[in-house]
Amino acid sequence: MSWIADLYAELTGWLFEHLLQPLLYAIGAMDYAEDAYAWLDFALFGLLGIAVVVLVCRPLEAWRPVEPVTDRRAIRTDMLYTVLSRLGLLPLLAFVLLSSAQAAWEGWLTEAGLLPPTLEELVPALRDHPLLAFACYVVILDFAEYWRHRAQHGFRWWWALHAIHHAQRQMTFWTDDRNHVLDDVIAAVWFGAIALLIGVPPGQFPLIALVLRFAESLSHANVRLDYGRVGERLLVSPRFHRMHHAPVSAGQHGKNFAVLLPVWDWVFGTADWKRGEFLPTGTPEEPEVLATGGWWRQQLVGLRRMAGALAGR
Amino acid sequence: MRRAPFALLLGLAGLLPTAARADLVYVLNSADASISVIESSTRQEVRRIPVLREPHHLILSPDRTELMIGDSAGNEMIYVDPTSAEVTRREKFSNPYHMELSPDGRLLVVTSLRRDQVDIYDAATRTLQARLRVPDKPSHLAYTPDSRIAFVTLQGARGLMAIDLATAKPLWTTEVGPQPAGVTWHNGKLLVGIMGADTVAVVNPADGKVERTIQAGRGAHTVFASPDRKTLYVNSRVDSRITVLDGETLEPKASWPLPGGPDCIAFDPQGRLWVTLRWIARVAVVDPATGAAETFPVGRSPHGIYVAPRAEPLPPLTISETVPPPAEVTPAAAEAAPPAQQPAVFRRLWSR
Repeated sequence: MSWIADLYAELTGWLFEHLLQPLLYAIGAMDYAEDAYAWLDFALFGLLGIAVVVLVCRPLEAWRPVEPVTDRRAIRTDMLYTVLSRLGLLPLLAFVLLSSAQAAWEGWLTEAGLLPPTLEELVPALRDHPLLAFACYVVILDFAEYWRHRAQHGFRWWWALHAIHHAQRQMTFWTDDRNHVLDDVIAAVWFGAIALLIGVPPGQFPLIALVLRFAESLSHANVRLDYGRVGERLLVSPRFHRMHHAPVSAGQHGKNFAVLLPVWDWVFGTADWKRGEFLPTGTPEEPEVLATGGWWRQQLVGLRRMAGALAGR
Repeated sequence: MRRAPFALLLGLAGLLPTAARADLVYVLNSADASISVIESSTRQEVRRIPVLREPHHLILSPDRTELMIGDSAGNEMIYVDPTSAEVTRREKFSNPYHMELSPDGRLLVVTSLRRDQVDIYDAATRTLQARLRVPDKPSHLAYTPDSRIAFVTLQGARGLMAIDLATAKPLWTTEVGPQPAGVTWHNGKLLVGIMGADTVAVVNPADGKVERTIQAGRGAHTVFASPDRKTLYVNSRVDSRITVLDGETLEPKASWPLPGGPDCIAFDPQGRLWVTLRWIARVAVVDPATGAAETFPVGRSPHGIYVAPRAEPLPPLTISETVPPPAEVTPAAAEAAPPAQQPAVFRRLWSR
């Protein structure tokens, strides 16, 4: 394994020394060198994430598709969403901005004589079990994602944005990133804030994001796949999440909100376990442009509808 | 037998290879939440000490029996016995980034880079005596030899601040250049690495005025004095090199390329430089006579470094990396292989 570590260190070192650091020096931002170096992990993991998802999900979709591909244009729109989202660096921006906010907040706290704890300090056993600590962070963040998702369906203004994600009738693994930009910003701020609140080590952040995003992409795949009677209750499957994208699950009637662990739907009574049901997806009651319009049109209509919802129309 | 007197002569002249040393080199892997303990003769990692978040700098305790290692993001001070690499205790501590004991050993001043605070502690008890709110990013610090004044670079504010340690009040704050990083007291002057430029600023400690600048490569970071203080070494992050200065005249004598972003420097008993290379997860061992360097891998973003003299190799661990070595060492464990290297981000998980 040492050659992988060396190779990775060399690659990130080269990229930082030859591309990022000269840029930081030129714009007078050398005091951000360590932050930029940490970001490299994040960016590389983003690219790796897309590669892994394509390598795993594409063969699965070819193996047992739920439905034939009839609208390639709709998939291309989702691919554009993916590229913009993952190279748009929104979660990173949120994390960096929130780090500054956290610094100010912690400064204030320490002046008041308090030191913010980390999860490992609250549960000392986690100190010696890093994998367990990692799992705890994933579970907490997944729980937070469940409630964000509930809110996306529960608030009318938020559903006006989130409906873009649900309008896709040709759902594939690319659909995961089909979100309004504003919806992405809110999601990134939410995720980043929770991560900082519970003290996620910055080094683990990219890996946690990688795990959650892989699960999300796989759950959107056009593949006739469920994880069996027990497995369906342990991990969100493509079957489980397809139910969430069915017209019966639109808006406030949502089912199966979980991102990684279906246990939250189980506990809070929003689960639908009907195995063997692979329903068509989409939101027939929403404007057609949300399903088949281009990226710009969808962004514009999403904003307009959100404004309408906020104004009570 | 005829060779014996000759060998004795050579030995007395210091020309025979001396017995191999087994110094312990402590490397703080700031992005791996761990401390690598390296044996200097083999360059093998003999211990990996997990910490909470981000270890950056380390010093010897006032009685010089313990290493004090600051975990800035983890709000913790870790105490390690430098001879055995055992963690002796941990203390809750506010954001310890850079820290130094005052020359008289009475005070411990700590900069909190990300909280814009400078804390003054009683060194023996670590009782907070004063906390100063300062401009953006207080980075490194130095003292006057009489321990009356501390100087702190303000990385985000182009500044250098002098703090009266008797009153815990700033004496002056001046502009010294873009993104100042390290500050070193040397022969009555302050030497400040100007990371946003290619110079070291020579500053008058009385009023903070920059008297002259010395070329040292882009991204000049910190000045380190050799143990005899006759030579100064300046690391430069962007041009990635070490500039050697004459300790008396401050004139550059040599420039050694050192790819990887050289950062902290420690000296071993043989006078060699052990340099952390931040961006390539390695440490360089540099020959002070020639500048020739060899490197070996450590954890990600290695920052602070310290060489603890030791003659005998550290006994291998028997149970796990994270458990202090027991009194008895089994022969089987003595043959155990050194810890395997893993990709940084995974190692980060295992090693925390």
